[in-house]
Order: sequence, then C-alpha cells, then structure tokens
Amino acid sequence: MADRKINIAWMYPDTLYLHGERGNIMALVRFAMELGLTPHVRRIDLGTKDFDPMEYDILFYGPGEISSFRSVIRDISGYKRSIAEYISSGKVLIATGTSMAMFAERIIRSSPDTENGAGEVIDGLCVIPADAFEREYVYGNDLLIRAEYGGYSMELIGNQIQMTDISFTESGQYRRFGTVIYGRGNNGHDELEGAVHGNSIFTNMLGPMLVSNPWLTVQILRMAAAAKGTEVLALDPDYSLEIRSMELKKNFIDDKESI
Amino acid sequence: MDFRFFRAMITGKTGNIAISMIDRNRGTTWAGRKALEIDPDLLTRFAGIDPERVIFVTGTNGKSTVSNMITHILRSKGYKVISNSEGANLKTGVAAALVKKASLSGTVRADYCVFETDERYLAQIRDQLPCSNLLVTNLQKDQVQRNGDPDFVYRKIAAVADKHKMRLFLNGDEPRSCSLADHSDNVVFYGVSRHSMAFTKDDTFVTLPCPKCHSRIRFGYYNNDGMGAFKCDRCGYTNNNGREAAQYRITEADFDAGTFRMGETAFLMPYKQTYMLYNYAAATAVCRELAGITEAESAAAIRSFKVPEGRIEEITSGSQTIKYYRFKQENPETLQNFLSAVAADPEEKVVIIGFGTVSDYDPYYVNSFYAFDCDYSVLKKANVRKYIFVTDTIAYDAANCFIYGGVDPSMIEILPTSDEEEIFDAIKTCGCSNIYLNVKLHMYEELKEYARKEM
Repeated sequence: MADRKINIAWMYPDTLYLHGERGNIMALVRFAMELGLTPHVRRIDLGTKDFDPMEYDILFYGPGEISSFRSVIRDISGYKRSIAEYISSGKVLIATGTSMAMFAERIIRSSPDTENGAGEVIDGLCVIPADAFEREYVYGNDLLIRAEYGGYSMELIGNQIQMTDISFTESGQYRRFGTVIYGRGNNGHDELEGAVHGNSIFTNMLGPMLVSNPWLTVQILRMAAAAKGTEVLALDPDYSLEIRSMELKKNFIDDKESI
Repeated sequence: MDFRFFRAMITGKTGNIAISMIDRNRGTTWAGRKALEIDPDLLTRFAGIDPERVIFVTGTNGKSTVSNMITHILRSKGYKVISNSEGANLKTGVAAALVKKASLSGTVRADYCVFETDERYLAQIRDQLPCSNLLVTNLQKDQVQRNGDPDFVYRKIAAVADKHKMRLFLNGDEPRSCSLADHSDNVVFYGVSRHSMAFTKDDTFVTLPCPKCHSRIRFGYYNNDGMGAFKCDRCGYTNNNGREAAQYRITEADFDAGTFRMGETAFLMPYKQTYMLYNYAAATAVCRELAGITEAESAAAIRSFKVPEGRIEEITSGSQTIKYYRFKQENPETLQNFLSAVAADPEEKVVIIGFGTVSDYDPYYVNSFYAFDCDYSVLKKANVRKYIFVTDTIAYDAANCFIYGGVDPSMIEILPTSDEEEIFDAIKTCGCSNIYLNVKLHMYEELKEYARKEM
C-alpha cells in the first residue's frame, strides 16, 4: 500500500509565533485529509535534538520577532546543509512574514533601541539572494497578488505586516512568487512579492494565507506529495466560502486608493 | 513664570471651561493639544510634583481600568488625585489633565498623579514629566499595523525603565512584561493563584518566545489568556522573574460567590471576569506601596468601583438583553475573554461577531488573523443557538475562523453588511432573548441607539 503520510514540521511555533499563523497548519491538515493523505504534524523547537528535515515533506516557518532571529538562525544552521538538500530535492519549505528575512543573506536592523543599535547586521541563511532591511515604521495593509506556483497561476489575497523590506541582490535560482496587484510586496518598488526556490515559498503574505487561499494550499500539498511519489485523490473542492470572502475583500480594496 | 507657559495655561483652562459648557463629555484632549501647541515644553514646567507620588500605567490591556481603579481607591481615602481617567493617554491627554487641575501659575496641588500612558508615548511623556513609578499591566499581541510585534513595545518600555531608574509594578504571571524586572532594582510583583476557571491549551496553540533566550515558554495553566504559571524550556525563566512569589497575590478566587482573598483580607468582586483579578491585584499593590492604603481599605473601595464606560455593558431592547464586551481588533486576548464570557453563561444565547476594518492608521485594512490564536473549544458547551457574522469586509473570514476552531457550520449565519439597521433587525428576529455582541465600539454605539429608540 502506498505511503499516504504527509509529514509536516511546524518550525519553532512559540518563537515564530506572530499573526495567527497556526491557521496555516490547520489548513494544511484539513486539505491533506481531503486529498486522501494522512497528515502528521510535529513541532520543532529551539534545541530539538533529533530533527532531520529530510524526514519531512513540508517545513513551515511563521513570522517572528527579529530579536529572535539570531537564536533561530543559529539553530537552523545546525542543519543548514540539510535545508539546502531539502529544497533542491523538491520538497516544500514555506516561510511567511518576517521569516523570509532569515533565509536572506543579511538582515540590517534600523531601531536604535535594539541590542547593538541601528545598523546592526545579522547574517542570514543565504537561501535566497536578498538583503532584508528592517523598516523604521511597520507597514500593515491588505495584499493581493497574482502568483505562479506548481505550474498554476492564481490570485491570492491576504495581509502583510511588513517589518522588513526585501531587496534581491541578484537573479539566481529563485523566481518571483507573485506580482503585486494591491499592496507593497517585497519592498513597494518592483511589484515583486516573495520568491519561489524549487517548490519552496518565501512570502510576506499573512492571513493566514493557506486558510484564505485554499487553492494554493491544495497545490502545495500536491507538490509535496509528488516530491515523495505519492498520488493524491482527485479533489472536487468547495471553496465557496473563501471565494465569497475574497470577493468581499477585493471590493473593499477597490474602494481604497492604492499605495 | 515663562510667558509661553502662562499663555498655554490660560488657553487650556479657558478652552476647558468653554468645552464643558457645550458638552461635558467632549474635549478630553483639546485643551492639552492647544496648550502644547503654544508651549511644547509644557509638561516640564509644572511645580509641586513629587515624582514618588506619580505613577504611569501602561501595557496592552487593562491600563484604563487599572488607572481608574487606583484613582478610585486613592480618592476613597480622601486623597486629591489628578488623572487622565477619561482615557486620553497620549501626551495631550496628560497635559489636558494637568492644565485642568493645576493653578494658573502651574502649581500642582494634588496628593497623587495617576496617568494612563500609551506604550509608544511613554518615553516622550516621561522625558518631560517626573515620575518614579511605572505599572505595566501586560504586553501582548496588539495593533500590529502600528507596533508589528510585542517586542517593539517591550524595547520602548525597557529603555524608559533603564534611563529613569523607575520602580516597576509588574504582572508576575505574564512572561513578557514580567521580564522587565531586569531593567529595575525596585520591582513589585502582583499575581493571581490558580483559580477554578483556570484552563490549559494543547500543543496546537502557540505561546510566546522566552524574553530572555527566545526558546519555548510553556504554561502549566492559564488564569486568563496569556497569564498563568509559566516556565521557559531552556533557561528556566519563570513567574515573578524567579522570585518565589509575588508580593501581592490573589488567592481563593470564588466566581460564584464573587470573592477572593489577598493575604488575610477578603475582597468582593464587582466584576467577575478572570482578567479583572489582575486589575484588582495591580491597583491594590500600587495603593499599598504609594499611599500605605491597606488591603482592607482597598477592598472596601473596590466594592463601589465601576469600569470605564464602553467596556462591559448590557442594554435591553424589548425582551432582549444585549451583552457587549469591548474587544480590540488585532488583539487575541480580548477576543478570548469574550469567548470565555460567552462560555461562562449557561443560558441559551445568540452570538453576534463583527470583525471589521482596522481603521486606526492609514491605510485602513482588514484582518482576522489574530482570531486564529484563540481557543474556540470553550464554545462547545456554551449553549449557543446561533452565530451571526456581520460586516461588509470580513464576515466570511471571521466565520471561517470559527469553523476552523470547531464551530458547526450549520449554526452559522453570515450577514455581509455593516448596516446597523440590518444588523439590529437580525438581532430582533433571531428568536433569542440573550444576545452576546462582539463588534467595534462605533457599531455598538449605533446599535445601542437603535435599542434606545425601540424602548
């Protein structure tokens, strides 16, 4: 009998704990079951000893406080080679909100009341060729994008609470996750939102994104299952609630002046 | 006397008199704003202020209630208190309160000053107004469009505590604000012992990173969302910053009888919400330390305490009772408190949920993500007949969140409108006399007006 288990690692949930992102884990579990998969979620905390990314199909990193990043990056660095191997194998890593910055090359802080003052540089994990700049002021808004993922084009809606702007330093193996229709995206200048590297997604989008956009959730699960050679059930999804929700929010956005 | 200051005082005081003649409920900050326009250094010029008798009250939740309660207890003992009890907690509100009560020459004739201060403006205010005491109620996820994360606010408060060497009054059961103890040599902790409504949460919920080492904080139990017995997995950081016990600790809370104890003293609770216990403890601690008011004297005063308007209210419309609990959008704790209140009432009820636009800052936006931090399992036995989700922006999102939380979709009605008349009609025709309302304050006030017209 085929292995129908889908292993999800919920990375540092009490450290990367902001913005109700546990909803994303709930959405992954719900739609995995609808696809005939057996989801298994494990929390990975700082210092978890026996963690091997390759034993998982999806790694989820939610947004956290920048003050935690050194600790988290140090922990991830303990298995950094495996993360690179994990991504290149076609497995799915999802980093949302501020967590995207940890996977960049450098994080440059702006606040004078941080540990080492404004200008402090935190070395990132160098998974995506980008620098992250802490913003002096938070930028919070709705976010509507056209995303390309897994060979599909789809509209995604959510929010962004932007603590760090992201600027890519070179075009490498990554590609854009989405094009901004409304909102700020990576930095408000280039209409780019997030990045995709292999099947892994790095995005500013909150919401939780996988609750508000189940069409993306299903596609992520399909990619994760395909990476391990598992077929999923044909799904006749009922997205009516989410579609109506999206329409309502798009109406609201239409009535606003764009940034 | 500085002429600018004199002019500012004249303008502020005249404005206060004029406004109070027009409408006593208006103008809590106007006088302060005008006076500060004339003299930006106004707060530095008042005379007769003893910093030891001044306290700033800040934090995410409860600062209005606690500062009002402290003021109420002090006044019950006959002390003259200056406070911004009308809730204007920015620099303008503090200035308005001082302009109103000080003499024209700027002499403050008061025994104590109790100022609620917005977390982000605390540094600005403290830089100008001498104050030796700071109470931090709690620091939680809130106003993310403004603050991003709680650490942002924490750093601001810690910097003030470091710079001004203040005595801190801290909630020893709330991990983040409790750790501010590292920024003062003079700390008073307050807390609450485990009570009958304490609860636990399973591993599908998040807590927060340890403020010292960023590792996992675990709660043995919660007395209230975000507050209870906690410990860091890695560094061992725990309640009261490692002290054995809080100096001011509530024990034996009995919600049926409406009583609790602090030390040898029995208290009656005018409000039985679990979060109010922390407010009682904070106010009692401050009054004892600042003014030597005994626990028995605080207990006597607290009996007649009323929470500020618009927090917890009941309105009657025909045969229906509408129970309103103010909640702050973007703040999961106040939503959880509402859910707990719904669950604590055994009578059948209809629950109206109206998450709406976050309109504090430009750009306005919609979000319901904070609601995923709440535990909806408390609703399983809450005897809810129906949930009605309203607002023309995120009624569907809010409903979806409750469904993810385990609420049966067949019990949900979605009314994607923000039209108060339509919502009031839905309430009237819902066939239930017991209504719980969770909407923004503005919508509540409109609905209250409809209810008033019905009477």
